[in-house]
Amino acid sequence: MKPTFKLDAHPRRPRPLLSEPPAGYFDKLPTQIMARLPRADARPAVPGWLAWLTPALRTGLASVAVLGGFAASFFLSGPAPEAPVAVASLDAVPRTELVGYLLTSGARVENSDLAVLTAAHPNITKGFLHASEEELVQALDDQPSEDPTYL
Amino acid sequence: MEDHDILLKFQDPASRNLAFNQLVRKYQSKVYWHVRKMVIDHDDADDLTQDVFVKVWKHLENFRQDAALFTWIYRIATNECLNFLSSKRRKFLLPLTDVGAELAAKMEADPAIAGDAIELKLQQAILRLPDKQRLVFNLRYYDEMPYEQMAEITGTSVGALKASYHHAVKKVEEYVTRSTDD
Repeated sequence: MKPTFKLDAHPRRPRPLLSEPPAGYFDKLPTQIMARLPRADARPAVPGWLAWLTPALRTGLASVAVLGGFAASFFLSGPAPEAPVAVASLDAVPRTELVGYLLTSGARVENSDLAVLTAAHPNITKGFLHASEEELVQALDDQPSEDPTYL
Repeated sequence: MEDHDILLKFQDPASRNLAFNQLVRKYQSKVYWHVRKMVIDHDDADDLTQDVFVKVWKHLENFRQDAALFTWIYRIATNECLNFLSSKRRKFLLPLTDVGAELAAKMEADPAIAGDAIELKLQQAILRLPDKQRLVFNLRYYDEMPYEQMAEITGTSVGALKASYHHAVKKVEEYVTRSTDD
């Protein structure tokens, strides 16, 4: 039977058998530690009165300030000025003037448009179309019947 | 230089850096080896020792001197070690034995212990102890610290510390006896 190990009988060492730190380690360590210390003249990251608040409260305060800024600018700006009404009602413009404008402005107005207009208002196109009623009826009959515009 | 003189100089902004430098030089070796016994690896011990003294600097102004300066520094160092080991465990989701195994592997790789089979078994047995019990073992066995001072550092009663050390010794002896039988 092997003897039991007794700690008291084992030679006591001041510390475990570990390798020593690198040569000169304890000479350099104070310098390294001093270099890591916060500088006394370093300016705090936050103003003094804010330093009393916890980081969470500071974040909340910043959010409230931003949202408050938006709200204030919204309420102080007032209602947006109304744009001047530049669009007059087209009902007030004579139809002959409208047709004349469309024909001279480069808008794509075709004979079929005029034919449709003539069917609704027989007198309106007399100044623009030099065609008899039979010719107009013929032009309308030639339009494809499946086009929904004419239904 | 006495602790009292260091603390007096530290209160004066003109001599604060000099006083702290002297404090570091006075206690760096003890703090380093206290930490090194817990974390085994030199690089980890180096980082933690620096962290300890940076914390000492930050809080020394509020040190109330109701404990000895070194007891207070030891308490900071102890907390740093325990936090380091528990965060290592959380980080890698390692159970207790795996961190112990990792530390034991570092210990075995250390050339200083090579060739001393009984010492290696002893260290393996110590590294198998839970962190807080290992801390108690180190303070009592290696540092031969009085239980009263240990109680100040760990915040545990003298009776509980005596019981913890007694159980630690039993565990260590059993492990070394069993592993030398194999």
